[in-house]
Amino acid sequence: MTGSLDDVRALLDDALAHYADVPAAAARLEAQRRRLDEPLRVALVGRVKSGKSTLLNALVGARVAPTDAGECTRVVTVYRHGATPRVELYGTDGGRRTLPVRRADGGLRLELGGTPPEEVAQLVVDWPTEDLLPATVVDTPGIASLSTGTSARTHGFLGTEDGPAGADAVVFLTRQPQPEDVAVLAAFQAGTGGEGALTTTITVLSRADEVGAGRLDALHAADKVARRMSADPQVAAVSSAVVPVAGLLALAARTLRHGDYVALRALAGADQAQVSRVLLTADRFTRPDAPVPVSVEVRTALLDRLGLFGIRLSIGLVRAGVPDATALAEELLRRSGLAELQRLLRVHFTERGAQLRAGTALRLLEAVLAEHSVPGDDGLRAELERLRLGTPDLAELDLLARSRAADGPLPPELRIEGERLLGAQGTAPAARLGLPAGTPDDALRRAALEALARWRTAADDPLAGRATADAAEVVVRACEALLAGLDSSVAGGRPR
Amino acid sequence: MVTSAQLLDRAEALAEVCGRPDLQRRLLQARARSADPRVRVLVVGEPKQGKSSLVNGLVGAPVCPVADDVATVVPTVVRAGEAPRASLVLATGPQPGHDGPTERVPVPVDQVAARVTGEGTDRLVQAEVELPRRLLDGLELVDTAGVGGVGAQRALHTVDLLPTADAVLLVSDASQEFTAPEMAFLEQAVALCPTVVCVLTKTDACPHWREVAELDRAHLARRGIEAPLFTVSAALAQLAVQHRDRELHEESGIGALVTHLRREVVDRAEVLARRALVHDLRAVTEHLSLAVRTELAGLEDPSAREELVRGLEEARAAADDLRRRSSRWQQVLTDGVTDLVADIDFDLRDRSRVVVREAEEAIDAQDPGPMWPELSEWLDRRIAAAVADSYVWAEQRSEWLAERVIEQFARDGGGAVPALTVGAAGEALAGLVELPVVDDGAMTLRERTLIGLRGSYTGVLMTGLVTSLAGMAIINPVSVAAGVLLGRKAYRDDQQQRLQRRRTEAKAVVRRHLDEVVFQVAKHLKDRLRTVSRTLRDLITDTAEEMSRSLADAVAAAQRAIREATAERDARIRSLRQRRDQLDRLAADVRALDRDAVTAA
Repeated sequence: MTGSLDDVRALLDDALAHYADVPAAAARLEAQRRRLDEPLRVALVGRVKSGKSTLLNALVGARVAPTDAGECTRVVTVYRHGATPRVELYGTDGGRRTLPVRRADGGLRLELGGTPPEEVAQLVVDWPTEDLLPATVVDTPGIASLSTGTSARTHGFLGTEDGPAGADAVVFLTRQPQPEDVAVLAAFQAGTGGEGALTTTITVLSRADEVGAGRLDALHAADKVARRMSADPQVAAVSSAVVPVAGLLALAARTLRHGDYVALRALAGADQAQVSRVLLTADRFTRPDAPVPVSVEVRTALLDRLGLFGIRLSIGLVRAGVPDATALAEELLRRSGLAELQRLLRVHFTERGAQLRAGTALRLLEAVLAEHSVPGDDGLRAELERLRLGTPDLAELDLLARSRAADGPLPPELRIEGERLLGAQGTAPAARLGLPAGTPDDALRRAALEALARWRTAADDPLAGRATADAAEVVVRACEALLAGLDSSVAGGRPR
Repeated sequence: MVTSAQLLDRAEALAEVCGRPDLQRRLLQARARSADPRVRVLVVGEPKQGKSSLVNGLVGAPVCPVADDVATVVPTVVRAGEAPRASLVLATGPQPGHDGPTERVPVPVDQVAARVTGEGTDRLVQAEVELPRRLLDGLELVDTAGVGGVGAQRALHTVDLLPTADAVLLVSDASQEFTAPEMAFLEQAVALCPTVVCVLTKTDACPHWREVAELDRAHLARRGIEAPLFTVSAALAQLAVQHRDRELHEESGIGALVTHLRREVVDRAEVLARRALVHDLRAVTEHLSLAVRTELAGLEDPSAREELVRGLEEARAAADDLRRRSSRWQQVLTDGVTDLVADIDFDLRDRSRVVVREAEEAIDAQDPGPMWPELSEWLDRRIAAAVADSYVWAEQRSEWLAERVIEQFARDGGGAVPALTVGAAGEALAGLVELPVVDDGAMTLRERTLIGLRGSYTGVLMTGLVTSLAGMAIINPVSVAAGVLLGRKAYRDDQQQRLQRRRTEAKAVVRRHLDEVVFQVAKHLKDRLRTVSRTLRDLITDTAEEMSRSLADAVAAAQRAIREATAERDARIRSLRQRRDQLDRLAADVRALDRDAVTAA
C-alpha cells in the first residue's frame, strides 16, 4: 500500500518534470504532490446551522471553531495537528499572516483581525491534540446560506466548480437531506471519487438531540430516522452510511468539568416536579427566579454547554446513579454517537487514507494529461495505467464507489456481501467477512474460502454481463488477497 | 358597479382568447375561492419544522400526524364543524393522483393522524377534519407536506396549493435562521398569496430563539418582505391545553398568533377575499396585457416592416451581385484562357528553340552521320523533358486560373477548385512521327575507288597531255603521280561536301522534327486547356444558376412576405388593439373593485 503511494509520488514527480513549462498544470500537480505528504483531509460540509463547527469541536475535544445562534463560520478553516496553537490566515491575494492566538474557555477564539471574509482564502489552525494526528479536519461555511458568498466559498473549496477538490473525503451533516445538498455532494464526488462515492462520504444526521424536540428518547428516534435515510436511494447513491450524532452532547461530554457535574447533581437532587417544570423550556430554565438550588449564571452556562436535551439526559443519568463527572462524560459520549462516527471515519477514511490520496492524485493527473499534452507524456500515461491496474486497492475503491449506483455492476443479491468483502465495513479480515472481531484464523479462512468459491462462480457465470463479470473478478481478487494475508499472518506467527 | 363574478368572466374569456391555460387555471381557482366564504390558511415550510404540531397546537387537538421522521405526506384540512368528524379522501381512479375521481372514507377523529402517515397512503389525496372550535369559524387550516426534502415527491403539490390559499403561515423552527431555499419559497408565497405570516416554532427547545427571530426579521426587512413574524411553541400550547395552564398558554406564544389570525385574517375575510381576487385578477390582467402590448408594439413598430423590406432589398442586392459577379468571372475565364494559350505556345516554342540550338551545336561539333542514333536518342529525351515541363507549367497555370475564376465568382468563399488535369506529356508525344534517319557518311570501297578514280582520271589525262607534248606517252610516271595527287584531293573534297550536306540535312531534320513536336503538343495542350476552361465554365454556370434560382426564390418570398404581412398584420393589430382595450377596461374595473375593498375595510 505504501509502495503504491511511493509509486504515485514518483509518478507525480515525473509528471512535474514534464509539465515544468505548463504553469497551470504544474501548479495543480504541485499542490497535489504536497497533499500526498500531508495527512488525509476530511471536510465537514452541510447546510448553514447544521452543526458543523460543533461537531468539529467535538472531534477535536475543544471549542476551537466558533459557534453561535446565527450563521457563524464564514471562511474555510483547516484544523491540523501542530505542536503549539497557531493561526495563519491565507488571503485571496496570496498573502499569508499569522494571527494572534486568543484562548478562551479551554478553546480558541478565532478572529479575522479586521480582514473581511471575502478576502480570506482560508484559515489554517494548528492545534495540539492527538485527535488531529490521523486526519486534518476542515470546517466549511454552510450551503444554502442567505449571505451571498458564504456558500460560494464552500463550493469553491469542494471543487464543485471544477477545481481540484480541497478535501479527500467529506463528512456531510444534515438534519433533513435536501435535493440541493445531494447535488453538492454529487459534484464533490465527481471531483474526487468518481461517480457515487461510498468511499469518500459519510452522512451525519446532525443535531440528533433535537430530533424529538429534545425528548429523552430523542437519540433513539434519531437512530430510526438515520436508518430510514440511509435506505433512501438518493442518499445511498452519494453516501456510505448515515449516523446520528448529537454534536453538542459529544462536545459537552468531552469538555465536561467537575463544576458541571456538581450543578447537575444539585438539580438531580432537587424536587423532581419543580425541576421538570423548569426544564420545560430553555427560557424557564434560565429565569433568574427559577425554584432550583443552582444560580442563574451556572444554569445559563450549563444550557450553553449541554443544551436542553443534554441537561435533561444528564439529570436523568445522575438520578439513575452515575457516580462522577468521568462516568457521566463517558455515558454522554457513548450516547452522542460520536464514537460510532469516529469508528466510521477510521474504517472509511483513515485506514484507507493512502489509497484515497493516491486515488485523488491519479485522477488529477489523468485530468491534467487529458487537458494538456506535452512531449513524452506517453510514459506518464503508461505508468498511470500500470499503477491503476496494478493496485488492487484502487480497483476495490473504484468498484466500491460505483456499486450503489442505480445500475451498479455487482449482482443485486450479492451486493451487500460484495461491498463488505471490498472493505465497506472495515479492512480487517473479520470485518470483510462479516464475522465478529477476534474470530480465530481457521474460521476466517473457511469463510474466506467459501466467499472465494461463491464469487468465482459469479465471475464465471456465463449469463453475467461484462461489467458484472469484471466486478466479480475484483471481489475474487479481494478474497484471494484476504486469504494470502491470513496465510502470511499464520506463517509469520502473528495473529491479526 | 361591476361584480367580481363579471370581472372573472371577462378575464377568463380574455385568457382563453390569448391562449393562456395556466392563467385560466389560476382564475378558476380564484373563482372557486371567491365562491367559498371560508378563509383558507395554508401552513407551509420545509420538512421537520413543526407544521403539523403548529396546527395541532392551534386547534388544541392531535389531528395532524407528528413524528420524529417525515410524517405528513398529504394535506390535512381542518375546518369548523358541529361535532368532531374526520374523513380520508382516497383516489379511486386506476392512477393514484389528484385529478381522478375520489371517495370519502369516514374515520374516527382520534385515528386520523395515524391513518395519514406510514404504509398504505398511496391512494390518499387528503384528510379532512371538522372540529367545533371558535378559532375555526370561517377559517380553514391546511397542514401540508414539507417543501423540498429528498424522497418526498408529494411535497411538490404544496407549491400548487399556494394560489388556492387566502393566507399562508410559513413555518421555520427556531434552531436556525432562514436558509436560502426557505427564503426562495417565501418569496414565491408572497408573489402567489396576498397574506403571508412567518411562524418560528419550537421556541421551547431552542435557547437562542430570540436571536434567530431577530436575524429572520432582518432577513425579511432586507428583502423588503412585509410579513409579521410570530414565535410559538406548539409543545407548550398542547401542554397548556392538557394542564389548563394559562401561564403556559401565554408562554407558548400561540395566543398572539391566534389573535392575529382572527383579527387580520378571519375578520377581514371579505376584504381579504376581495383583495385576493383583486390580487389574482390584477396579476392575470398584467400578464395578459404584457403579452398583448409586446406583440402589438412589435407589429406597430415600423421597424418590423422595415425589417421585411430590408430582407427583400438584401435578397435583390444578392441577386444583382451574383449577376455582376458572373460577368466578371466569365471575363476572367476568357482572358485567362487566351493568355494561357498564348503563354503555352510561347513557352513551347521557347523550349524547342533551346533544344534546336543545342542540337545544332552538337551537329556542328561532330559528324552527325555516325553519331545520329545517339543524337536522335538525346533529342527524344530533351523533347520529352521539355514537353513534360510545359505540361506541368500548363497544369499549374490552369489551376491558378481556376482559382482566380472561382475567387472572382464566389468572393465570399464556398467555391472549391475542381480537379483539373491537362494530361501527361507522353500522350502528346505518342502521336509524333519517328525522327528520320540521316546519311551516316559511311562509304563502300567501290564508292571510294570510284571517287578516287574520277579525280585521278582528270589528273592523269591533264598531265599526260602536257607531257605528251614533250614526247612522252600519255601514261607516264609524271602523269600517274599527278593523277594520284588529284585523285586524293578529289576524294577529300568529296568527303567535305558530304559532311556539309549531312550536317545541313541533320539540322533540317531536327528543325522539322521540333516543328512537328511543337505543333502536335501545342494542339494537344490547347485542346486540353479548352477542356479545362469548359469544365470551369460548366461548373460555375451550374452553381451560378442554382444561386440565381434560390436568390430569385428569396426575392419572391420576401415580396410575398411583405404583401401578406401587411394584410395579416392589419387584421392582427385590429384584434390586438381590441383585446388591449378590453384588458384596459378590465384593469380599470379591477382597480375600482380594489378601491371598494379599501373603503369597505
